[in-house]
Amino acid sequence: MHEVWESMIRRWMWVLLWMFAGWPGIAHGQDNYEIQVYPSETMTPKTLLVELHSNFTVEGSTTTQFGMLPTEHQEHETIELTEGINEWSEVGFYIFTAEKSGNGVQWAGDHIRPRVRAPPRWHWPVGVSLSSEFGYARAAFSNPTWSWQIMPIVDQTIGRWYWSVNGTMVWDIHVVPPPTDFTAQQKQAYYRDVAPPGVTFGPAATLTYAPSKYYNFGVEYYAYYGEWGNFVSLHNQQQQLFPVVNLFLSPKWEINLGAGWGATAGTDHLIVKCIIGRSFDWSHHRAGSSKSTP
Amino acid sequence: MNRRTFMAEAGAALVGATFAPAFARAQSQPDVRLEIAPLELEIAPGKLIHTIAYNGRVPGPLIRWPEGKPIVIDVLNRSAVPEIVHWHGLEIPSEMDGAAEEGSPMIAPGGQFRYKFTPRPAGFRWYHTHAFAGHDLKRGAYTGQFGCFYIEPKADPGAYDQEIFLTLHDWNAYLAAGGDSSMDAAYDYSTINGRMLGSADAVRVREGQRVLMHLLNASASMIHWLALSGHELSVTAMDGNPVLAPRSTSAIRLGPAERIDAVVTMNRAGIWILGETREAMRKAGMGVVIEYANQKGKPRWIDPPETLWDYGRFAKPQATIRPPDEVIPLRFESKFHGQGAVATWTINGKSFPHTDTVLLKEGQRYRLQMINRSGDDHPIHLHRHSFDVIQVNSQEFAGLTKDVVVVPANGTVEADFQADNPGATLFHCHNQTHMDFGFMSLFRYMSP
Repeated sequence: MHEVWESMIRRWMWVLLWMFAGWPGIAHGQDNYEIQVYPSETMTPKTLLVELHSNFTVEGSTTTQFGMLPTEHQEHETIELTEGINEWSEVGFYIFTAEKSGNGVQWAGDHIRPRVRAPPRWHWPVGVSLSSEFGYARAAFSNPTWSWQIMPIVDQTIGRWYWSVNGTMVWDIHVVPPPTDFTAQQKQAYYRDVAPPGVTFGPAATLTYAPSKYYNFGVEYYAYYGEWGNFVSLHNQQQQLFPVVNLFLSPKWEINLGAGWGATAGTDHLIVKCIIGRSFDWSHHRAGSSKSTP
Repeated sequence: MNRRTFMAEAGAALVGATFAPAFARAQSQPDVRLEIAPLELEIAPGKLIHTIAYNGRVPGPLIRWPEGKPIVIDVLNRSAVPEIVHWHGLEIPSEMDGAAEEGSPMIAPGGQFRYKFTPRPAGFRWYHTHAFAGHDLKRGAYTGQFGCFYIEPKADPGAYDQEIFLTLHDWNAYLAAGGDSSMDAAYDYSTINGRMLGSADAVRVREGQRVLMHLLNASASMIHWLALSGHELSVTAMDGNPVLAPRSTSAIRLGPAERIDAVVTMNRAGIWILGETREAMRKAGMGVVIEYANQKGKPRWIDPPETLWDYGRFAKPQATIRPPDEVIPLRFESKFHGQGAVATWTINGKSFPHTDTVLLKEGQRYRLQMINRSGDDHPIHLHRHSFDVIQVNSQEFAGLTKDVVVVPANGTVEADFQADNPGATLFHCHNQTHMDFGFMSLFRYMSP
């Protein structure tokens, strides 16, 4: 029965990925396609987790900036497919879409995300995992377009408490150039705050408490600090807190609900999100059989 | 362990009747002497397990003893913690049964205790520690304290050419995400007779031989599946009790503490693996090589067809069951303390030692009506008695006598037993973690 619960709890702590363009008032929230704090645990081999990430920006940017559409009242639907490879690795794939009145449903991009972890048999006191994400997103919805992300993950469950910290580092492989009419000063600010040439850093973390095996609640934190060694000002950083509830309705279903408040000018001020996940066992082995996972 | 000792397990009767003095003299000299002491067990070249074992070996010495003949066993505890030895499946007095909850004494470090009883009933029994482990996964059934106890029947047809005892065990337990939302024991290594697959000498057989395998799952908590590549196993007994009619199967399931006797006709020459059906478990070490005479090459594994275990196959279907005198309802549930904690377990809403004591009247027949409201399978054991399993989920049958039965997750099992062995009697899940965290109850006999 272990594998059933493992797959059930695997994704219950949530939310975010990276939010990296930090221009004040800019539609950096458009990067909020998949808001999730990762656990260190990977999917059980031969198991596919299908997740639908739905995010709606209640209060965000209202103007088009650098070709990116305003985020306010924009809805993002992202399908995430994660397949367990072995005891210590998995591969995830994302299909990002954006919806806004007047613009219809738009394909926004795709990413692929292999992830490895320290196997449990190493007996480390905390769970440790390393995620690598690579992909493309259309310029209308993201800047950069091509990017590569490395994210170490550390987590731990202590009794009813669970915490996880993700340190997201992103390298912008291809960014949208600044408008040609920008002054030198504006271009300098653009490459500092919107599209830094180096590696940017944005941590995410969660802390939850589980009163029951059927749900937990807690808080998630997402931030974008800017380029390593050249962090943007606090005013322009992204700082976001999400009170969340995670529901485990059955061993195969899991739901995450949250509402995020941006604490700085550089953050969308209010986003609501929902993640619905369903796991599928492709081994075709019957529970408790001679071939089921011990 | 060399080939000779491995192969000779059954015949050697290492500390058994062969070398035992007459019972009359055994008042001063024991028939069997067990010494509990720390051991560095080499389960594979360079892989050492720091554990506690009997007589410096894993499994402990095979005790082979005639049915009905009294035995005296001295147990010396040279470990650093109090210990106790339970004689599993034997119908003996409470004070000799080896469970502190029933009144058997714990043996202090450096201390010694003399067990005296008359082994019965005949068949494949075993012995093991019954000490509490709790969060210390280097104690109790997580250690190498187990061994086979074969009570020879007065009449043994002996329809086999070779007999081997194979004990399964898992090592280096640690707590990991488990069933029913909580932490449970997981393991680094698995062994058969204390050695990992590929590290022990092969079991040598000859074509045409009938080999009787006595298989014991001595794991603290894991259910195991076993198969012998390319061969069928004909199950002749469960928990030491003959089944109504032997049935062939390509894979067998053993819950913790369960035993199966199976005869294999060696009719496919080669070098084969007898091992866990699940690859991850074989990689962890659970397997042994079976080598036909005059065969060369690498051991081969052939996946058996996927099998679901069905106790009913070894019983009589749709039988008329004698109604019991009383039904004992037993509801199993877990109490959640967090995904990062071990759950406590309850029987009818209470954890041991607060579980309700069941009162038995000698001579009456009782029905254990077990309802498992958890997501885990539970290997349920009743001390000092055997029971007849009569129903698993909605399937009814008769004629299957056992002392451990796996109650499936979210399922039900009914089993009848005769209250014919007065004294305190422990009833518990044989998963050490579950047992230590409340899954236990005491049955007592009413005074006549």
